[in-house]
Amino acid sequence: MDIFKIEKSKLKQFLDDLSKKYSVFVPAKQDRVTSFKEITLNSQLSTLNSYNTDKPPKDIFFPQTETLFTYDENSQLSTLNSQLSKPIAIFGVRPCDAKSFTLLDKVFDSEKYTDTYWKERYKDALVFALGCNNPLSTCFCNWVGGGPFNKEGADISLIDIGEAFLAEPCSKKGEEVIHKLSLQKATEDDLKKGNQLKNEAESMLSKPVEISSLKEDLDALWNSPKWEEIARKCLNCAACTYLCPTCHCFDIQDEGKSSKGKRIRIWDSCMFKLFTQEAAGTNPRPTGKERMRQRIMHKFNYLVETIGEFGCVGCGRCIISCPVNLDVREVIKEIKKVRN
Amino acid sequence: MENIEKQLRETVKKLLKEKKVDLVIGYSKGTLPLHSTPVFITHEKDVDNLIFDATCGNNLAKYLGKSRKPKTKNRKPIGIIVKGCDGRSIVQHIVENQIKREEIIIIGVPCDGVIDTRKLEEKVGRKEVLKYQVEGEKIIVEGKDFKNSLKKKEILSDSCLMCKYPNPPVYDIFVGEPVPVNENRKPNTDNLESLSPDKRWEYFEKEISKCIRCYACRNACPLCYCEECFVDQSGPQWFGKSPDLSDTMIFHIVRTLHTAGRCVSCGACTRACPTGVNLAPLGIRMEKEIKDRFGYTAGLDTEATPPMADWNENDKQEFIM
Amino acid sequence: MENVYMPIPVKVKKIMVESDDKTLRTFDIAFCNEKDRFDFMPGQFCQLSILGKGEAPFGIASSPSEKDALKFTINRVGNVTTALHYLEEGEVIGMRGPLGNWYPVDKFKGGSVVIIGGGFAFTTLRALIVYLLEHRKDYKDITVIYGARRPGLLLYRDELAEWEKRDDLQLHLTIDKEVPEWKKRVGFVPTVTKEVAPSPKNSWAVICGPPIMIKYTLPVLSELGFPQERTYTSLERRMKCGIGKCGRCNIGHKYVCSDGPVFSYAELQELPQEE
Repeated sequence: MDIFKIEKSKLKQFLDDLSKKYSVFVPAKQDRVTSFKEITLNSQLSTLNSYNTDKPPKDIFFPQTETLFTYDENSQLSTLNSQLSKPIAIFGVRPCDAKSFTLLDKVFDSEKYTDTYWKERYKDALVFALGCNNPLSTCFCNWVGGGPFNKEGADISLIDIGEAFLAEPCSKKGEEVIHKLSLQKATEDDLKKGNQLKNEAESMLSKPVEISSLKEDLDALWNSPKWEEIARKCLNCAACTYLCPTCHCFDIQDEGKSSKGKRIRIWDSCMFKLFTQEAAGTNPRPTGKERMRQRIMHKFNYLVETIGEFGCVGCGRCIISCPVNLDVREVIKEIKKVRN
Repeated sequence: MENIEKQLRETVKKLLKEKKVDLVIGYSKGTLPLHSTPVFITHEKDVDNLIFDATCGNNLAKYLGKSRKPKTKNRKPIGIIVKGCDGRSIVQHIVENQIKREEIIIIGVPCDGVIDTRKLEEKVGRKEVLKYQVEGEKIIVEGKDFKNSLKKKEILSDSCLMCKYPNPPVYDIFVGEPVPVNENRKPNTDNLESLSPDKRWEYFEKEISKCIRCYACRNACPLCYCEECFVDQSGPQWFGKSPDLSDTMIFHIVRTLHTAGRCVSCGACTRACPTGVNLAPLGIRMEKEIKDRFGYTAGLDTEATPPMADWNENDKQEFIM
Repeated sequence: MENVYMPIPVKVKKIMVESDDKTLRTFDIAFCNEKDRFDFMPGQFCQLSILGKGEAPFGIASSPSEKDALKFTINRVGNVTTALHYLEEGEVIGMRGPLGNWYPVDKFKGGSVVIIGGGFAFTTLRALIVYLLEHRKDYKDITVIYGARRPGLLLYRDELAEWEKRDDLQLHLTIDKEVPEWKKRVGFVPTVTKEVAPSPKNSWAVICGPPIMIKYTLPVLSELGFPQERTYTSLERRMKCGIGKCGRCNIGHKYVCSDGPVFSYAELQELPQEE
């Protein structure tokens, strides 16, 4: 497959052209927090050079709050803009996050039910995944089958080689799009440089802990007192789950009166007690221990069973954001220790 | 500080050995530079994991709340390592009947401030710090392609810069030399108060709009121990659940009101926030208000009656029409 | 693309106070638009919603052949159920469904079925009984054991009286404590089960009720020789989406909403034992 090149000097132009057909999202910094925002005339692209965004890009397809429908005094229900005016393109998403889209897609578009809100946005989306020349010390994509230059979930894979991005199509959609973009082809030297950066980045990551049997390790751990120990310092806030690119749990609520209002869905977290609190007062996960177990099990056991993959892409956001430095890598190591 | 750690470990080892406690809550080294992590020590062999330095920003009094309080086997007291602010939070727990004085052994440590990693990011930019070293009043941080020498003061939590109680007011054992108290310090929000109400509101809107409603602030707060927080109540439900600015704003305002006369401005909320919302001014301003109105400072006296639980005929009542 | 979150409008046709303490009401719910009508199987559930209050899941208590209306019996416990209790006949509410799986009535064919219920967890069991009676020739013995704390808490009392008269259905009603007007059995469900359950040979058991009843009845069934593969139950959990997306009602890797709510005890054995 041909590999192309996007000159950085022409990046703005490139994105402007792209935004004629797509709603283009890029990493942006606002009040100290980096996240993906729709590109505007004043968008600064400097955040591309920085490390991964503080907030994951999942909210582009799965917003923290989303109106399922509105209703009026005649109980007429209407969905807002179920049709997007333009498909979404995301430029500069990191490989871990690009992979997270494929995991979320398996949950939201399962065999039994398709979540239309997710699907409408994701099905035509174009994902430009930017390889990580400088992975952080908290990155552990290589533990969970990823890598700083992985292409899973990407339509076009990018490598920052200094004055330009190498752009390699890695899906049919990407292939179709890239040929319409009138880009010049990368030279041998460019490719060599790309490869070198890739090798360097991979060597920067710490040696992965072997977790191919983690699902089985967890199967054996259900009743272990270890959970209490692991959960002990956890504050049961939702920083880890809200900043996780693959956490998909949500609540559904009505806002408004009986005559006018909306039904919305909002991110929710298994870390909260109320998540499973039943109206009659019972709660299958009454303490932090059960909730911690649920989070770890969901990611490293249940999803392996249901979609055949870990529900973790190793982005490290939960590690960075945890107010008590509860490091999921340490949890994994502890789990492995119990079994061995 | 190294000296403190040595003494601290010896103290804790002794407590465990003499079976005065069978659990000590403290700090150990975190997995990230400039981060510590709470640790629960039950065996002498683990005592050497204990640390105490400017990275120990969590308020460990959190772990004494009724629902979290670890049950020790023979109901021996729990040992807990506390800075000035943590110590004040514990006093507040005692005042509010959340814990009895005899249920804890307070191991006080002197604190000259803890690091706010967000302030560090402002100084070094969006770069990953991989190593750090404290040299007196300086702190040297190092990453892949940079090395910066910073004044420690520049990256300390705002709350610490205003702290007048660097040593816990109540303790059983004090480790190290108390930090000299700077009497000139006081809760200060002058910068914000000098702004017009509109500008001030704008400031808070800007801060609060970063809130993602993860409740890290509330859950890190030693005084947020309610069995069910008002914001979670569903029958009736007082608040929308989305990060809508008005709902979020009211949440933070009501939480501030609920900690009036209780908050010790430890800054744990601000340091816990994953999106860097600066909540500290709300608590600091409230502390100041309580001091002005009721002459009360939270967390100093275990026998005190907190102002919100008391009535005095001299209380200001200009709000009654 | 079908939007699985959109409720259809349905009309409250009839409301019946079901229990003597008035905490249980049965609602007959009719489709407002013929195009929305759906087929379902006994054991499935729907999300009923009142705009402005929200949604909650309820098992369908009627059989698919009862075309006039779907039946739901609702216990007043939370916001949505309280709002539902305030409804009046003729009002329009929202409904999503049918959701979840159902009792494996095809597997039961040619065999005997013992249905064990307790308290107000009898709703989908009613659906099952009516279904089995409609297809009576497909099944051998049908035994129903139904217990409640007192007579006034038994659901569908008129129908129970009708069923008692039938000779193709063995109905055993029981209450926990003796009361003057009660001439039938007194005793707990596990004890009654021990006495009246049919031979486990080619038999299936379905059990729904409060956890304590289930806890003490399962060993009885097992003693009688009912294998776990042929003992079914229907579970309840806090649910929101009802379609396996919102992530809260799981037991292990199974979602009660979309993989259940009906499970055999053999299936449940495979799952972690969450409290």
